[in-house]
Amino acid sequence: MAGPETDAQFHFTGIRKYFNSYTLTGRMNCVLATRGGIALLLYFKLGSKKTPAVKAT
Amino acid sequence: MNENLFASFAAPSMMGLPIVVLIVMFPSVLFPTPSRLINNRLISIQQWLIQLTSKQMLAIHNQKGRTWALMLMSLILFIGSTNLLGLLPHSFTPTTQLSMNLGMAIPLWAGTVITGFRYKTKVSLAHFLPQGTPLPLIPMLVVIETISLLIQPMALAVRLTANITAGHLLIHLIGGATLALINISVTTAFITFIILILLTILEFAVALIQAYVFTLLVSLYLHDNT
Repeated sequence: MAGPETDAQFHFTGIRKYFNSYTLTGRMNCVLATRGGIALLLYFKLGSKKTPAVKAT
Repeated sequence: MNENLFASFAAPSMMGLPIVVLIVMFPSVLFPTPSRLINNRLISIQQWLIQLTSKQMLAIHNQKGRTWALMLMSLILFIGSTNLLGLLPHSFTPTTQLSMNLGMAIPLWAGTVITGFRYKTKVSLAHFLPQGTPLPLIPMLVVIETISLLIQPMALAVRLTANITAGHLLIHLIGGATLALINISVTTAFITFIILILLTILEFAVALIQAYVFTLLVSLYLHDNT
């Protein structure tokens, strides 16, 4: 199981340091980014459905 | 015949008043509170069984997980005793009701998940992405793992409901078939009766196994989150 002691063996640089599927932080950030992206998608999709009258003008 | 087959799953009432609450509370009467240092035979046997089960079930847990010991033992005793009492003829089995099983599964599962997010937020979130996943598969796997998490309480409840309901239905059907075959062919009725006896023995096992599986899965979800 991954943990702080096993994360030390991975040496990523750049954006891979924060978004990877090996370290605990990387996995957490990937999960948060995916869910955040889906939430944003749903927000804009549902938001555009609610105001058709405003869109027409 | 069709109406009689499902009549045993209807919520029972006496003179218009629902007695489901009394039926749900009844198993607790079978487990008296130990009041002495050395108790009578029934309580001693129950204590021995509870100790045996709790030792085995709580072995995998750490200090935090063991605070759930009372909850887990109550759960297995309640489901096991309810399922076994339901095998008595003409009795009502509360665990055939999906509403009841969802009422047990959802709060317990939610409790384990909230415990995990509260005390080990990083690890709980990282759980949604298996280690070593290739980059292009990450979003899909996060979605799949989230769905599999949300399915867990549903699976818990439906598993128990379906197993107990199916067993009771089979007993009803094969019992009815045995009765119907007596006038037609005694040999076939006898064979069907043997099948009924074997099925009843199986249902005794299923009653206890389903209680164990329900509790074990809750225990595993807790272990993942503590």
